[in-house]
Amino acid sequence: MAEQLSAAQRSKVRRLSQPKEAVEGEDAGELNIIPFLDIITNVMMFVLATVAVTFTATIDSTPPSLGGKGVRAAAQSNALNLAVFVVNEGFSLKASGGNIATGCTAPGPGLAVPKAGNDYDYASLTECAKKLKDASADFKDETQVTITANPGIDYQTLIRAIDALRRSKEGEDLFPDVHFGVPR
Amino acid sequence: MTQKMQAPKHHAASIVKYKMELRRAIRLNDKPPEVNFLNITAMLDMMTIILVFLLKGMATSSAAIPQSKDMTLPTSIITSEPAQEGTTIVISKTQILVSDDPHPVVLLPSRDSLAQSGIDAKYKRNGPNDLYIVPLANALQAARQTDKQIRQAKGLDPNSSEAIVIADTTTPYRLLIEVLFTLGQSEYGKYHLMVLSGGSKK
Repeated sequence: MAEQLSAAQRSKVRRLSQPKEAVEGEDAGELNIIPFLDIITNVMMFVLATVAVTFTATIDSTPPSLGGKGVRAAAQSNALNLAVFVVNEGFSLKASGGNIATGCTAPGPGLAVPKAGNDYDYASLTECAKKLKDASADFKDETQVTITANPGIDYQTLIRAIDALRRSKEGEDLFPDVHFGVPR
Repeated sequence: MTQKMQAPKHHAASIVKYKMELRRAIRLNDKPPEVNFLNITAMLDMMTIILVFLLKGMATSSAAIPQSKDMTLPTSIITSEPAQEGTTIVISKTQILVSDDPHPVVLLPSRDSLAQSGIDAKYKRNGPNDLYIVPLANALQAARQTDKQIRQAKGLDPNSSEAIVIADTTTPYRLLIEVLFTLGQSEYGKYHLMVLSGGSKK
């Protein structure tokens, strides 16, 4: 008869042969990196929360030249040759036909787009530019405009004027190519 | 009856038998331990890499453009990609900087003075009405030489360089034109005026 284990021996064998549980931490061969992970997560959250997301763009231009003409591509003789002057009282527009009169309807004296109250009227400037561009089929492909301003006009006003001349309310391109003129 | 219910009693087996049974039981139960905790090493690696990329990206992106009381970019409706190539000229309320040089090329006077006749006549080539700013031109010439070599190496036209102009919203037109004119005289043929995109038409 084969030799049999006693109950106590069987119990001991059962107990000792149980697989050992893996222990988290050094005993399992793993570094405890949770504190480091916490630090990294906190740093990431802090960076994301504090960084102001800003999107920039650039407006391309060419060197200004004395006389307010700028450096622009050779235009046809029947071109519009639009020039915008930003003065303290509003926008003065000049084209091949001469100075644009107030209201932007015909050539004549005065400011084409005077200020509306204390603010520059950018919406009217856009409308005026569109009206001039639509005046003749010859002007359809013209995209250049020369902008000149009084010495004290600030940069933000200039950028808004460029924006106003860039495209119409309907999204149609008007005069996106800007050149700067130097006031005499 | 009670004798039937009782388990048969055995004598303890020999130590050899006991050890053999123990070894057999250990062998039968021998399987890799179940890992019941999360191994986050891979995730940690990933997060560290993301953090490094984020910080590196920030250093070269628009977020690096200084925005302070002295320097606030104008807003525009334009949404095109900003130009990355070119010599950087920063015109703040108080100074003009060229490239990465932290030392100002010119210290600016008050805005009223700038709006009248631009930068002081002592910085000009031919008196107060001149547009050419001598210290700026000198700094630009050095930057131009470097840019020229870079453009040659890249196979671009070395005859003309590009400039990125980062100017404060309150910069008067007179000062802007003086800077642009000086750039033109220093063989910079194209400018990129930096603005904050996403503004609305007013």
